[in-house]
Amino acid sequence: MSPTDDIRIDPRGYRFGALVTLAFALAALILGPNAAGIILMAVLTAMFLPGATVGPHVTVQSFLFRTFIRPRIGAPTETESFRPPRFAQQMGLVMAAAALVLGLAGVTAGFFVFAALVTVASFLNGVFGFCAGCEIYLLLKRATTKAA
Amino acid sequence: MLLRLLAIGALLAVASVAYVWWSRQQGRVRHVVVAGALTPADLGAPRGQRATLVQFSTPMCAKCPPTRDLLLRVAADDPYVTHIEIDASEHLDLARRLDIMRTPTTLVLDAAGVVVSRMNGAPSEAQARAALAEVPPPTEYSI
Repeated sequence: MSPTDDIRIDPRGYRFGALVTLAFALAALILGPNAAGIILMAVLTAMFLPGATVGPHVTVQSFLFRTFIRPRIGAPTETESFRPPRFAQQMGLVMAAAALVLGLAGVTAGFFVFAALVTVASFLNGVFGFCAGCEIYLLLKRATTKAA
Repeated sequence: MLLRLLAIGALLAVASVAYVWWSRQQGRVRHVVVAGALTPADLGAPRGQRATLVQFSTPMCAKCPPTRDLLLRVAADDPYVTHIEIDASEHLDLARRLDIMRTPTTLVLDAAGVVVSRMNGAPSEAQARAALAEVPPPTEYSI
């Protein structure tokens, strides 16, 4: 359950990261699928990339947290595995990319639906510490793996 | 624009209410009836002589490691209580059979391996102790 190649991260860091994501997603949702909204969604998609491929410790949000916030609040009392937040970043990447592609394709409703999903997930994560990916992972596994 | 802001506000309000409802369900002890007993072969580990806490986890579960620590602490108080952790994503057949939809989910088994109750989500220490207290002590035969 705890392989030795685990990376421990500061849970406050990715909650802060979720709030940064929330700011981008909210702004894109308010602007809608016009040029400005689509550029914001493209930036957000790019910001998800490092977290989804390597892990939440190499994101821009994480860099901002370590540089400006962590020195003021001190070391964390507990750390968490990087795996659940990395999975969350992968989900965020898929949803933001879907909003971006649908926005570019002129599917207005699709842009709003996926931008709203990113907004709600990052809101719950940043404000309450709720991990949507943690809840969805097993359901996804159950749905995609056939019974033996 | 105003309409859109109102819609976003409503969306986040609904999400907040849903979260509060969800967090209140966390770890609630539910009494369930599951046909048959869980054997050590099912569980991949020996059962406790009085009770067994079977925790289903996945690697993508932030609350699972702290729940394991909590349940191990609770189980340590009684030499006849055992804690077993199972990766639900690797044992999907067992997860389907026992209707495990999320992690952590903890089943409380009696001495015979019959499910007495389950806690969906991370329980508090009081919830875990209450669930365990309901399991009858082992009979003389089972020791």
